[in-house]
Amino acid sequence: MKLKKYMTLTRAGIIEALQFRMSFLIMCAGNLLYLIVTYFLWKAIYASVDTDVVNGMTFTDTLIYLVLATALYGFMEMYLVWDIGRNIQSGKIVLDLLKPMPYRRYLFWSYTGSFVTQFFLTFLPTFIIVAFWTHGAIPLGINLVWFAVSVVFAVMINFSIDFIVGTICLYTESIWGINIMKQVVVLLLSGATVPLAFFPDKLRTIVNFLPFQSIYNAPLSLLLNAHPTAETVCTTLGIQLFWAAAMTLISVAFWNRSVRQITVNGG
Amino acid sequence: MKRKGLRFYLRIYLKILAQDIKSKMSYRADFIISTIGMICTNIAGFISFWILFSRFPSINGWGYYESLFLYGFSLVSLTPVQCLFDNNWNLRQNVYSGDFIKYCLRPINLFFYYQSEVFDIKGLGQFVFGLVTLIYAWVKLGLGFSVLMLLKMIVFLLTASLIMIALQNAAAATCFWIQNSFYVLDFVMKFKDYAKYPITIFSPVFRFLFTFIMPVAFIAYYPSLVILRPDAVPVLSWISPLIGIGFFWLSYKFWMHGALKYSGTGS
Amino acid sequence: MEPIIEIKNITKEFKVLNRREGLKGSIRDLFSRDYKIVRAVDNISMSIEQGEIVGYLGPNGAGKSTTIKMMTGVLEPSSGEILVSGNVPYRNRTKNAQEIGVVFGQRTQLWWALPLIESFRILKDIYQIPDADYDEMLKLYQSLVDIEPLLHKPVRQMSLGQRTLSDILAAFLHNPKIVFLDEPTIGLDVSMKAKIRTLIHALNQQKHTTVILTTHDMGDVDALCQRIVIIDKGKMLYDNDISHLKQFFGSYRTLKVRIKGDLKQYADEITEKLPQCSVSADDEWISILVDESKTTVMQVLGELQHHYKIRDMQLEEISTEEVIKKIYEEGVK
Repeated sequence: MKLKKYMTLTRAGIIEALQFRMSFLIMCAGNLLYLIVTYFLWKAIYASVDTDVVNGMTFTDTLIYLVLATALYGFMEMYLVWDIGRNIQSGKIVLDLLKPMPYRRYLFWSYTGSFVTQFFLTFLPTFIIVAFWTHGAIPLGINLVWFAVSVVFAVMINFSIDFIVGTICLYTESIWGINIMKQVVVLLLSGATVPLAFFPDKLRTIVNFLPFQSIYNAPLSLLLNAHPTAETVCTTLGIQLFWAAAMTLISVAFWNRSVRQITVNGG
Repeated sequence: MKRKGLRFYLRIYLKILAQDIKSKMSYRADFIISTIGMICTNIAGFISFWILFSRFPSINGWGYYESLFLYGFSLVSLTPVQCLFDNNWNLRQNVYSGDFIKYCLRPINLFFYYQSEVFDIKGLGQFVFGLVTLIYAWVKLGLGFSVLMLLKMIVFLLTASLIMIALQNAAAATCFWIQNSFYVLDFVMKFKDYAKYPITIFSPVFRFLFTFIMPVAFIAYYPSLVILRPDAVPVLSWISPLIGIGFFWLSYKFWMHGALKYSGTGS
Repeated sequence: MEPIIEIKNITKEFKVLNRREGLKGSIRDLFSRDYKIVRAVDNISMSIEQGEIVGYLGPNGAGKSTTIKMMTGVLEPSSGEILVSGNVPYRNRTKNAQEIGVVFGQRTQLWWALPLIESFRILKDIYQIPDADYDEMLKLYQSLVDIEPLLHKPVRQMSLGQRTLSDILAAFLHNPKIVFLDEPTIGLDVSMKAKIRTLIHALNQQKHTTVILTTHDMGDVDALCQRIVIIDKGKMLYDNDISHLKQFFGSYRTLKVRIKGDLKQYADEITEKLPQCSVSADDEWISILVDESKTTVMQVLGELQHHYKIRDMQLEEISTEEVIKKIYEEGVK
């Protein structure tokens, strides 16, 4: 069966991820700490204004948004750029290119293992805790379905961006520099550090035309919206679909072109 | 054998450091890209800061310029750990691959020898960025200037640096005991992101936690109070230099203990 | 004379995690872990004189590196005593480091991006080598090998052979009393191996440096060592003169030839023609074990060529593993 060879990669990824018990506990502690800091910080911020609602977001909304953004980040960030970069530098990439499936697909399916593990180990617990903690401030209805679909698109877009940035490593040895730039740009412009709702209007207009907001802002705003109009859902998912397709095409084309160039020049 | 005093170590340090800078320069593209990456990180940090304050006038009684001061202070005080102790990030790989053994075979202090090997120049970009922010906030706040203030500033910046260095040493040294200690280091290094907030936003329990258990508040908050709020300086601020030295010494002992216990990777 | 290295009944034990297999095992590992004790070095004693070259042999995982790490002060023995040049290595690590030099065949201790001469200069400072001694040492190096082209080449651009050579020179630079060489010729070609052996021998002669050499290569042992210590599974098997061991392995070599046709049949024919050799055949090769105290490989080859058209040939030295097997079988004491 064709799916089986991909599932094997998924399974191997899960086993590998579980090997690191300590790192898992520490990651939980780190997320918890972040949660605490975020909570107090925004509590203090909201305490300094007279209104409860700022730019359409209440304190609870903001908190849920940021906490879930972190949880999403935890399972979408996979150090792909580092992996590609190191493979290129060590020359191991040659072996991966010889695998009987395209490199991009090979990587994607290898990472699905950690997607699955991280989803159950970090995102789901966080989601449940937040849902209880905020006494049902997260609407539980059809929006969950839209959220799930949106996350799948987000994963695809994020993976493509990482893959494009990883491809740049074919041209330069500076993995750290490339990766940090990507990380900073994605986190800021996707609304993962500060919700897009708080952005000044002009900046927000610009950001809306970029693919990054589809990664964190799109799924989270769908999740927090209890009664979205059909139009909102369609536009958000439509834009995501567009970016998922566009970024996939760009990443594949860029990779193929780069690899051809490298093999011709003998790297 | 001759005694190995401070002068001996200083000379070796400068020599190794000069060599490291020389060899870094031979990868010029990497240097430039890393520096740009570093600048991007700082700019992005500043932008989120600015976005926040464009919607909210103050956080817990701390205005824009005061918060900016804290922010600049934390950036400057983080420079030494970035520039001089960056090899801590490679410790895990060195231990894992067994290459760490080469540091154990020289007749000089192991910790010193290990840390001397890398000087991270791109940290200087952060230093300049932080310094400019700090001076800008200083001027805008109308704090005035005296030699005593400058001296205080330097002492307390160094204090903050020592605490951060201590935290990083201790976090990096965990790799002598556990696999994949990257997460520990990553966890601790996130503290520096929290350092720029005033400790008063937290509840008493967490104030205690961030003061005595995870000394995040000493990275910027307590030391900068000496300059920022000179009429109400808590005792903790005044004794923070001692705390800094104490923490550093403890972390050094911990690091060395791990390194000497280290047993290579089997065969 | 006082021995330079004195080892009495050392033992080293490691705690090793038993990882469980499969997905279920990984999940169980999350909650409970189970360790086992492995004895890497088991009650070893030896004493080594200044100026000796000692070959320290054993198969992979025999405990060679562990012993070396204990002698260099990196590891503390679980029990037993070690004295290296009067120091307890583990307790006086830095003092001990001043007296020894170490080379690990596959990992360099030089500064990766720097030309060799810069590494030498840093080492000069670290080991506090007086100018006169340093200059003299460089002169000695120049007389032994052609180091001029190496000195100005960054280590990362060197070939493995050049790098090993450089590492050996760096290890001898501060004129240590003892140099530990861990697999110095691993992965090198024949001419580079010869070059490195000559260098080690010359430095040992000139500086009267004690050399402890671990290797898999019997060629290294033949060229350099008067004395051999063999360990296996942490236990000492043999500690004596090389000539003593030679009678068990030194005279044997395996000649392998390929001839077109039915190899089994040829093997039988050759057995008749060469009664002093034992002959066997597999699908590809005819193997002839030649006892060189009775005849030479060249004679055997000449004899074969006289009768057959040889398409390909190989000559194999007896390996450490085979020596150990032979020791087990015949019980050297």
